[in-house]
Amino acid sequence: MNRSDDALSAARAEELFQQHREEIYRNTDQLFARLMLFQWIAGILIALLISPRTWEGQTAQIHIHVWSAIFVGAAISIFPIWLTRVCPGAAITRHVIAVAQTLMSALLISLTGGRIETHFHIFGSLVILSFYRDWRVLIPATLIVALDHFLRGIYWPYSVYGVLAASPWRSMEHAGWVLFEDIFLVISCLRSIREMRSIATRTAALEANERNFRQLFEEAPIGMAVVGLDERFHQANTTLCKMVGYSEEELTARTPLDITHPEDVSPSKALVSEMLDGTARNVIEKRYVRKDREIVWARKTGCLVRDSHGAPRHFLIMVDDISERRRTEQALLDAKEEADRANHAKSEFLSRMSHELRTPLNAILGFGQLLQRQNGNEAQNARVGHILKAGRHLLNLINEVLDISRIDAGNFQVSLEPVCVRDAVAEAVDLIRPLATERRIAIATDGIAEDGCYVVADQQRLMQVMINLLSNGVKYTPIGGAITLNALRTHDRVRLEVHDSGAGIPADKLERLFTPFDRLGAEHSAVEGTGLGLALSQRLVQAMNGQIGAQNRSEGGSTFWIELPYCESPLARIRAQDGKAALPMNALNDNRRTMLYIEDNLSNLTLMEQVLADYPDIELLTAMQGRVGLDLARQHSPAVILLDLHLPDMPGWEVLARLRSDAATRDIPVIVISADATRRQINRLIEAGAQRYLTKPIDLVEFARALEETTAPTVAAA
Amino acid sequence: MQNRRKIVLKTIGVGVLWIAAVAFGLRYMLNYETTPGPTGAVPIAWPSESRIARSATQPTLLLFAHPRCPCTRATMGELAEMMAQTAGKVQTYVIFFTPAGADSNWTESDLHASARAIPGVKVLSDARGVEAKRFGAETSGQAMLFGRDGKLLFSGGITESRGHAGPNAGESAIVSIINGHGAPQNRSMVFGCSFSRRERLAQNTAK
Repeated sequence: MNRSDDALSAARAEELFQQHREEIYRNTDQLFARLMLFQWIAGILIALLISPRTWEGQTAQIHIHVWSAIFVGAAISIFPIWLTRVCPGAAITRHVIAVAQTLMSALLISLTGGRIETHFHIFGSLVILSFYRDWRVLIPATLIVALDHFLRGIYWPYSVYGVLAASPWRSMEHAGWVLFEDIFLVISCLRSIREMRSIATRTAALEANERNFRQLFEEAPIGMAVVGLDERFHQANTTLCKMVGYSEEELTARTPLDITHPEDVSPSKALVSEMLDGTARNVIEKRYVRKDREIVWARKTGCLVRDSHGAPRHFLIMVDDISERRRTEQALLDAKEEADRANHAKSEFLSRMSHELRTPLNAILGFGQLLQRQNGNEAQNARVGHILKAGRHLLNLINEVLDISRIDAGNFQVSLEPVCVRDAVAEAVDLIRPLATERRIAIATDGIAEDGCYVVADQQRLMQVMINLLSNGVKYTPIGGAITLNALRTHDRVRLEVHDSGAGIPADKLERLFTPFDRLGAEHSAVEGTGLGLALSQRLVQAMNGQIGAQNRSEGGSTFWIELPYCESPLARIRAQDGKAALPMNALNDNRRTMLYIEDNLSNLTLMEQVLADYPDIELLTAMQGRVGLDLARQHSPAVILLDLHLPDMPGWEVLARLRSDAATRDIPVIVISADATRRQINRLIEAGAQRYLTKPIDLVEFARALEETTAPTVAAA
Repeated sequence: MQNRRKIVLKTIGVGVLWIAAVAFGLRYMLNYETTPGPTGAVPIAWPSESRIARSATQPTLLLFAHPRCPCTRATMGELAEMMAQTAGKVQTYVIFFTPAGADSNWTESDLHASARAIPGVKVLSDARGVEAKRFGAETSGQAMLFGRDGKLLFSGGITESRGHAGPNAGESAIVSIINGHGAPQNRSMVFGCSFSRRERLAQNTAK
């Protein structure tokens, strides 16, 4: 509150105080007007009762007291009564009343024959005069009493003190008793005035608070309303009135449900019930029907206000107009649906085009290879070579477009499992090395020496990304350049970096690096490419919960990096479990001490070799491709087959189907080991004929139990 | 502004008239209340023709009263108080004036009952005011105190003014004399109704 507010509040407090005092003056004036009338009549009745007549022998006449009660009483009363009518609340009125009241005391004392009891009328009158809470009215009353005693003491001492010569001190003593009462009445008046001022100050402060609250309520940019327990609007601010198109008077004749969209009435009622049941506040997005029948979307926050005893008093609701936001959301939703439809159409188109393109490509590449195997002349071989090169390029292009399409459509699945960084990099480098050798580019992998560095990734997709980055490095590095690979590990991430010694990437083009088909101007150079490699790599890395980026190096060239989640070496984990579970190898009969593991991830194969190292009688056969695995199964009839689902040449489910359809392998138990832990996938493989489904990483105890379960029937048969 | 001035002047004018009227009224009342009634020739010794029995062993106090005088109610109150202060030391009579032709209903008033209720007081009826005339009493409330030897010790009223109760010189003097302390005064003013002065005047005229 600032100084101006303080001044306003003080002025209002003074105004309230004056109003209160004026009201007290007027009310007390009316009290005395009635009292005067009553005393006048009472005086007449007293005179008629005590001294109706005066006698002279047997002759009587009206006593002088009766006439005095009528006329002197009237003279005393009429003027102050008249003043209460013409000048109510005025100072002159209450001072005249004070004088008149004292004179009335004198009259009544005379009429009652100077009874000591009637003298109490004076003291009572002073108390009643203090009802004015104006100590100054006691002054004329006291002065009249003192003057009466003083004059009587001087001129008629016999009438007041019963002696012919009274001491002046008697007058002072009589007046002193009146003053004694006056002191306490004055204190009472002053206290009352202080209390009145205090009440006025508090009332002014309350009014200021009320005014401030009302102003906040009225000028709030959000709709606000007070709703009673009868569910009717009690108050509504301007914003809400404008929002729903009703005036406050019209709203207070309605309930919130009256202006609620019919479909939103039930949830609104439920929220009211919840609040009455104890929910402190709740929020709902609902529709109101404006007076002009337009629909307004609103976010309504409601709370139940309770009194100091916890009993519900009313609801306070805040309403925010969200129609614009709702329209925007709906537009976005429509746009998304449209985009999804377009995307779906695109995927459909790509899928069909893939089929339509692959079919002729199959013929082109197939017959091209046949032609290549025929001994044509040099020119013919060169032409066939061009056909095959172009055909493979087109096939890669189609594969990459399809991958991107699948990822964008959400139909792309990765098999996340621990992958050894060193093995993956070595394999990718081995594949790229011929191309690098051709361009005399050295590839250094010294920065990737750590044996136990594993990441959570899809083995094949990680290879695909690394090959892509290395391939780009080789293509854009001048002949004789160098490529360096590094692996950096933080506490939960592993960063793989591919540094090249090329020309680098213009800074203004870095943002477009991962845009499909955008080759950043390389399309005008001799370097071949589709512009899809990095876009696909980005999506693959993100699908593996990783990140990809690129930057120019200060010493020239550029660096492409990917970051993937770090994980513990499966071997180390298995070693930690060593001794906790014994494999039931005795269950494998003597003729069948062979186990086949079909898995493309070298780390996993190594892991299994380590696990079985303690069992020299067991021969572990491994296959990194599905077709090889099928051949080995037919040739060796192993006791059990461990099958990965993501294989380079065919999906694992197809391997399982072929095993089950071949009489030679139909009865061999198959344990699927996959990183895909979805219930749907597990059920699908079990229904397809797998005995057990284990998820990676392998838990030795679980693995042992699975082995025991899958080989037990064989033991029984033996 | 003009109207306000008129109201102020009007109020002042009415106020002055009011004060004057009230002052006049009160002054008139005061004058009435403090004006004593007439006193006759009070004998300095007990009249021999009186039929009231005077005590020879203690002072005798006579109080003449009009049975219907409202001012005498205060006198009865003072007498009761005085009797309490002089218990057994004085022979007291209250003599009620009874006019000619009046029956017992006329004399039987609240004053009569009050007098009878005072211990040690004998109430007498004074037909046609004969005894009052013998003792020179003309106003209700006239008290007279005679000594054992029949000499007049005090004569006057025992109220401070007409119908006013409370301490007064007459009462103090009587009590003091009875108690043997003497008194600074042996007379006081009498406030009350007159005893048939006009009737006596009429009788005197007839003679």
